[in-house]
Amino acid sequence: MTESTGAVYDLGYTPYDGERRGRKGARATVFADGIRRVLGIRRKGRRKILPWALLAIAIVPPIAFVGISFFIPVDVGATFDANLQHAQFFSLGGTIAMLFTALAAPELLIPDRKDGVLSMLSSRPLTSTDYLASRFASLIAIVLGFLLAPQLVLYVGQAGTHPDGVLRGFIDGADALPRVLAVAAIYTLAFVPLGFVIASLSNRKAVATSIYLATMIGLTAFAEAIVQNATFIGSRWIALITPINTADAANAWIFGQSNPGSLLDAADIHPGFGVAALIVIGLAATSFSIIRYRRLM
Amino acid sequence: MPENAFTTSDLGHAYGSVAALHSLDVAVPEGRVGLVGANGAGKSTLIKILLGILTPTTGTATVLGMDTRSDMIDIRSLVGYMPEGPCLPLDQTAADFLVYAAGTAGLPPKAARQRASDVLTLVGLDEERFRYLGDFSTGMKQRAKLAQAIVHDPKLVFLDEPTAGLDPSGREEMLDLIARLGTFGIDVVVSSHVLRDIERTCDWVVMLDEGTLLDSAPLGAVAAEGAVRLEVNGSPDAMLAELSRTGASITADGRRLIVAHPSADVFDIIRDAAVASGSSIRRLDSGGATLEEMFLTKGART
Repeated sequence: MTESTGAVYDLGYTPYDGERRGRKGARATVFADGIRRVLGIRRKGRRKILPWALLAIAIVPPIAFVGISFFIPVDVGATFDANLQHAQFFSLGGTIAMLFTALAAPELLIPDRKDGVLSMLSSRPLTSTDYLASRFASLIAIVLGFLLAPQLVLYVGQAGTHPDGVLRGFIDGADALPRVLAVAAIYTLAFVPLGFVIASLSNRKAVATSIYLATMIGLTAFAEAIVQNATFIGSRWIALITPINTADAANAWIFGQSNPGSLLDAADIHPGFGVAALIVIGLAATSFSIIRYRRLM
Repeated sequence: MPENAFTTSDLGHAYGSVAALHSLDVAVPEGRVGLVGANGAGKSTLIKILLGILTPTTGTATVLGMDTRSDMIDIRSLVGYMPEGPCLPLDQTAADFLVYAAGTAGLPPKAARQRASDVLTLVGLDEERFRYLGDFSTGMKQRAKLAQAIVHDPKLVFLDEPTAGLDPSGREEMLDLIARLGTFGIDVVVSSHVLRDIERTCDWVVMLDEGTLLDSAPLGAVAAEGAVRLEVNGSPDAMLAELSRTGASITADGRRLIVAHPSADVFDIIRDAAVASGSSIRRLDSGGATLEEMFLTKGART
């Protein structure tokens, strides 16, 4: 028989004398939590359905396109236009990114207020601006991911089916990368700040999502009505208040594509002005959110 | 020389036209400090100023020797806070939340996981670590709130009404936990309007009333000097006679007696007097009324 040599020790309380990363660590933690929260990671199963379904919807079309071009290289080789494909998948990805923002921005801000978590966070080495910036960064990272994932599939697929070999394909495809990043940034700018400001004002997630979508679609309808019907001087500049149209117009402009039916075209406004308007709207919305959170934390 | 847990100098705060704190001057030593006062006395406002959540309208405050205005981030790295209201994300498990809470206090991920596990065990929630906080009972939620306040091993922790909403057994468990914090090297500031909770857990008391300081004093000294209150079944005459013989000072109010003695143990005197007189004791309060009496003496409303 083996004699037991084990022993049980009551270790009691162990003080912590390791590293404390202060503000930097707090910001990184809130950022990482934001990513997990919007993707439903370490949450109940039903919380994962919508974000991952949207990601699948964003990524399946380019995978299908690349798959077809891989198996039927002759047909696709004749029609493959990198700029056209990038622009088209941004147009689809933009819509999905907007839907995702409508769900994610309220998820990032409202539960923390509703459940009182802000009162815990307000005792941490973190300012209200740090908190908001970290949450903002989480949403930007995810929305950029939504926009760039299909583009990455396209880039890799395009390289894989390049007639002069994969390496040549990667080098050629890289020409479009700065434009891809610029358009992704413009769509993010169009969707995220407004999503945040609406989420910072509402106390119910479903209400915030509805108001956000109604605002985005409503602004377009309102501006269209003004631009097409109003006769007062300068009415065409109302076209600048439509983030969806502006982002679509900038996408077409940057990739050298036509954009029939564009409100900015109808108003005879260069998309560059539209991007400037997005920056102004984004800064105003972000400033408003910061002021609102200074009162809360 | 021991450091002060916090100090205030001419500290005042007003919510619009309503003044919550008036010109507060106090220096509170390390240890277990009770912040007592009726609802609206300014306890929560004081804690929020000390945490840098509120900016004082007048005066200054320091926590652990640091100024609350200029060193807010440094203070928050070293203190914990259990708010009176809810502060738990209901869609997270206890373990995930505590890892998050430790991370927001600046602990690296690996240390945060280890501390979360240790502290959940400490507050008696180790069996519940994978349950969602939304499924917790009130008592379990209060423990989780305490756990997030100490998960980063703070130097000082502020507990705002930690026993609010708890049933008697939950209250006892929470007070035991708070009393143990001192043995971990964590100084505590407990805010409560329940004087008995403060007597159970603290060795220093700061009394506030309508935003003004009534007193700031060591509770142990007060309790040692304090009288013992007892209530006798039947006639108190025999008991009174026996107690008088010991030289104790007695204040009688019907069957209720307040007994004090300058040198001997009052409880021994009462026991011996009860045996000698054949009296039975209905209630015996070990200094339970002392803080309340002290509070009333200072002229506070309760």
